[in-house]
Amino acid sequence: MSKEVVLDCLGEACPIPLVKAEKALVKMAVGDVLIVQIDHSCAMKNVPEWARNQGHEVELEEVDDGEWECIIEKMK
Amino acid sequence: MTEGITRTSSRASARGGSRRKKKNQIPIALVIFVIIAGIGVWLGFKGENLLLYWVLGLAFGFILQRSRFCFTASMRDPYLTKSTSVTRAVLIAFAITSIGFTAIKYGYFANGLTIPGQSYIATISIATAVGALMFGVGMVIAGGCASGTLMRIGEGFWMQVISLFFFIVGSLWGAHDFGWWKRTFILGGTKVFLPDHLGWLGGLMTNLLIIAVLYVIAHKWEKKNSNQLSH
Repeated sequence: MSKEVVLDCLGEACPIPLVKAEKALVKMAVGDVLIVQIDHSCAMKNVPEWARNQGHEVELEEVDDGEWECIIEKMK
Repeated sequence: MTEGITRTSSRASARGGSRRKKKNQIPIALVIFVIIAGIGVWLGFKGENLLLYWVLGLAFGFILQRSRFCFTASMRDPYLTKSTSVTRAVLIAFAITSIGFTAIKYGYFANGLTIPGQSYIATISIATAVGALMFGVGMVIAGGCASGTLMRIGEGFWMQVISLFFFIVGSLWGAHDFGWWKRTFILGGTKVFLPDHLGWLGGLMTNLLIIAVLYVIAHKWEKKNSNQLSH
């Protein structure tokens, strides 16, 4: 059964959400879903691009004005 | 895009509960637009190109925000995420600017006029490299360079107000002691204006060639590192 992990990065400036997501993803199993909550506009480009580059499935959703959830499914 | 990730929970948002309804921002946008236009008309009557500066400043901010153009990311992401898309965008911007500046300067030169902006040719010395390194470290920690910090405050990211505060403190401090820095470190360097040494076309081509080499390296770096970082 796959897990869903929520990572709260609200209020964190640009490279921090990415570094946190990277660390969280290492601990997760293939098929698990990581939801990174971000409100720094730079991370909204940064995190999805990095995760796609790594070969994961990525979706970005604007849940509120200026707040996003980057949903990453660990693929490998 | 992918066909979608199956979420184990049926919640609409990880925050819990149903998704908050977004506020309609259009009335605010209209009010701000009217204020911007009003200031524009006022500046237009004051003259002295103020209206032009106002429009250019607004356009620059808008493009910066919409394009996610970030000088910090252009220098940081090649290390952190191995992505060089922003790096390459900055290089393209440099290439376009080089052509534009050369055209303007050559235009004045060809007509026998004083070349504008020559006082901005700064000396290069070890101080340039040390300063660049310090600025680079600072902007990654602060989460933005000068334009990026201003843009994100405009977006409503309050933490960056701290960056802006210390940016102002540092600038004032730097300005206060600038005479000493200038005498001690800066004036010892040499000034290089490429067209003086290589001719107008040679100077421009050298510039573009360096940018092209960096572009190719950036592209290769991203290709080499994509999809094979994790195992």
